[in-house]
Formats: sequence, structure tokens, C-alpha cells
Amino acid sequence: MAVIEVKNLNVTYRVLMNKSSSLKELFRDAIKGKARVVDYVALEEVTFSVDKGEVVAILGRNGAGKSTLLKVLAGVLPPAKGSSKVDGKVAPMIELGAGFHPEMTGAENVLFYSALMGRDVKSVRERTPAIGEWAGVSDHMNFPLRTFSSGMVARLAFATATDEKSEVLLVDEVLSVGDSDFQAKSKARMHDLITSGAAVVLVSHDMASVKELATRAIWLENGRVKMIGNPEEVVAAYEAH
Amino acid sequence: MKYAQLIRLLVGRELTLRYKRSVIGIGWTLLNPVLTSLVLWYVFSFVFASKLPSGQQFAPYLMAGILLNTFFNQSLMQAAESIASNGGVLTKIYVPPQIFAISSALAGLANFFIGLFPLALVCYVSGQPLALTLPLVLVVGVALALLTAGLGLALSIMFIRFDDTRNIVNVLLLILMYITPIFYPVGIMNETMQNVIHWNPLTSYLDIFRWAFSNNATPTLFSWIYMSCWSIFALLLGTYVFKKYWPRTVAML
Repeated sequence: MAVIEVKNLNVTYRVLMNKSSSLKELFRDAIKGKARVVDYVALEEVTFSVDKGEVVAILGRNGAGKSTLLKVLAGVLPPAKGSSKVDGKVAPMIELGAGFHPEMTGAENVLFYSALMGRDVKSVRERTPAIGEWAGVSDHMNFPLRTFSSGMVARLAFATATDEKSEVLLVDEVLSVGDSDFQAKSKARMHDLITSGAAVVLVSHDMASVKELATRAIWLENGRVKMIGNPEEVVAAYEAH
Repeated sequence: MKYAQLIRLLVGRELTLRYKRSVIGIGWTLLNPVLTSLVLWYVFSFVFASKLPSGQQFAPYLMAGILLNTFFNQSLMQAAESIASNGGVLTKIYVPPQIFAISSALAGLANFFIGLFPLALVCYVSGQPLALTLPLVLVVGVALALLTAGLGLALSIMFIRFDDTRNIVNVLLLILMYITPIFYPVGIMNETMQNVIHWNPLTSYLDIFRWAFSNNATPTLFSWIYMSCWSIFALLLGTYVFKKYWPRTVAML
């Protein structure tokens, strides 16, 4: 049964040419009749589905619509036309550490980030020491996040985001973080999550990872599906292009 | 409710974060209205204290006004700002954006309730007993939280789309403050101004609050109806505007 079902998905961004970013300018432009609206098509007639246990990789150049597609699947961006249905709990691994606040302690940030992802605060509270330990920042968990190095923040964010399994996993290039030791550890954990039976959509420029992890690949170009199928074949075609 | 835990965390964060780096921390929530009231009381008690209707005390009158005005201003601005400033979250993880506005309004409500303790002290010092209608303060508080959450939601769309909305709103809030009887008695104004003050929704909230807390004003049935209407209207307006414009606005974050 399909966990993710995308049908004829269209996403358009409305771009205001010579955009009025203030009411004053808008007023001026409206009088002169200058505020032109242009619809920029980010995704066009995209259709695919992802079953439980499948890992679908999205390939494409910058601006092809990969991140837009992930945002639609995460539910933060509404489709202009068509539909996108996702069953089950979604773990969006898109720019980890969204909502981290520098003035709050490491432990508070873990809790808050988890709550944003819809996890149960009580059980996360019990897990917090373990999360801190896995990230290698146990001694710092009660200090404000601004005292952390950027590597420590990234490790804590990764440890928190990957602490719980979800039915749907959306991954945007966060296969590994940190220094070389931690990279190996985080890569292993990410691979575990991806192959643990969830429905996964993976955006990556790392073709080796795609070939290794994906069970299917979708090649996006200018917002349209150019090719869909076996990862080996799609990667070969994409690289030859 | 699914998001109750998140709302609790957000409210806690907003209450503690503002004064996180100061020595007395959340104590400022108590101290702020006290100090503001003290200054204004010193300045205005010479002018206005004798102009209040008999039986009303100037010090609690003033402080109640300041508490309510601070509540309205702060939670309105924060509710409107919260959605823009959490754009980083809202474009990555699905959370109903309204949660941020609701949490800001609730944080304002909590601050307001904390401020009631020094107000009670001021009442005691000026020899005015607390009224038996005290629990009704809760109704005013919730009504005002609904008002700010609703208006804040509608404003948040404007805040994201047009940078100068903040400045315009600040000026409007200043005007609103002066047509709300915070530190002057309504009786000193001419008829036109009294009319303006009468139709200012905040006046109704304030009258009911002062009356419920320590019988320090005389709200009418109109005040209750007007207050309810505004709270419901703001909530409907905010929900409608937000639903309609959010899908187009989210792409701008």
C-alpha cells in the first residue's frame, strides 16, 4: 500500500515583479499600475507514489524543484493543483535544528525541537540524556546553545532528529554531519533509519549514496519528471546528460 | 489536543526568554508594570486624581490601565511577529502556524495574571478592597487573549508581506493608547472625545477589568456586549484572513 501518493502535483510561486515590499510602495505601484504578478512554476504534473519500505531518490540540478517537492510532502507548502497524500508520522530531515534557540539550553532545545516534530514530550524528556550522550555533548546540555560550537549544534540537531523512527522520512542532503568520527557514526545511523522499513524520499547529489540506498529514482528537470525508474539506470542517464 | 505540549513549551519559552539574560530574570514581569505605574502615578496624580468619580482610587485605576494596555500591545505585536520570526520552522516542519500566535497571546495572558499580584498590593495600600467579582477578571483576560490572537493572525500576514506594517501598527497602537482611559478619567474630556473613547473597544475591556477587580469603574451592559463582539469578530477575522492568504504567503518566508 502506498504511504505517499502524489498525483498531478503542481506548485506555483507567485512572484511580484518589481515587488513592493512595503505598503507605501504597493500603493505607489498600484496607482501607476505597475505591480505585475508573474507565476513561477516550480513543479508541474508530478505523479509518483512511495510504498512502505521503499527508498525513492530525487535527482536534479539546483532549481529543478527537489526542495519544493520535499516541502509539499512535509505539508508546509500547499499544492496549487493536484494532490499529495502522506499517511503516518512524518520526520522531515530538512535543514536540521529548525527552531533551535541560542538562549535556551541544549536540553530545552532537544525538547522543543522534538515537540515541533510532533513527538511526545514526556518520553523525549527521559531520552534527553541519551540523546546528548550520543551527540557527544553531555557536559554541555545545561548550558545555553550559544555556548556550543557550530559542530556541536549540528551533532545535537542530528541526534535529536534521528532519535525516533517514523513511518515517513524526508531527507534533504543530511546523510552525515560533524567531524570524521561523527560522520561515520551519523552515516551509519542514517542508513539504519532509511533501511528500517519506512517510506523514504531522499534528495541527494551524492550519486554513490543514491545507488547504494535507493530502490527507485526520480529525475526532475525544470519541475517536471524527466525519468523515473531503477536507480542505476536513472543515475547513469542523469550523469550522461 | 495534539499540540497542547508544544503550546505549553512555547508559552514557557516566551515567558522566560525575554528576560533570560537579566539578573532578576522573570522578576521583571512583576517589576515592569510596578515601575511604569509608579512614574506615571507620580506625574499624573497631581492632575487627575481628584477628577475621578467618588469612591474610585487613582493608583489602582492607573495600574489596571497599564497592565491591560501592556497585555494588549505586547501580545498583539508578539502574536503578529511570532509567525514571521518562526518562518525557519514553518517552512521545514508542519506545525499549524496559528499555534505560534495562540502561544503569544497566552504568554501575554500569563504575564497579565502575574501583574495582578502587585495590583492587589496597590489596592491594599490605597485602601480599596478587592471585589467579590474578582473571578470575572479571568473572562476579561481570555476575551483579550482572543482579541490579540485574532488580530495578530491577520496582522502576521501583513507583517510578512509588507515590511513597513510594523511601523504603521506602532503608530496606531500609540493613538489607541491615548484614546483609552489609562491614566486620565473619561470625565475630563469633551463630548466628542468621550464618544471616541466610548467606541474604542479597549475601553470596554478596561472598564470591566477595573470593575471586576476592585469595583473601580462602572461598566454597563453595553461594555459586556461590545467586548464579546470584538473578541468574536477578531477571532473570525483572523482565522479567515489567515486561511485565505497563508498558502500564498508561506512561499515568501
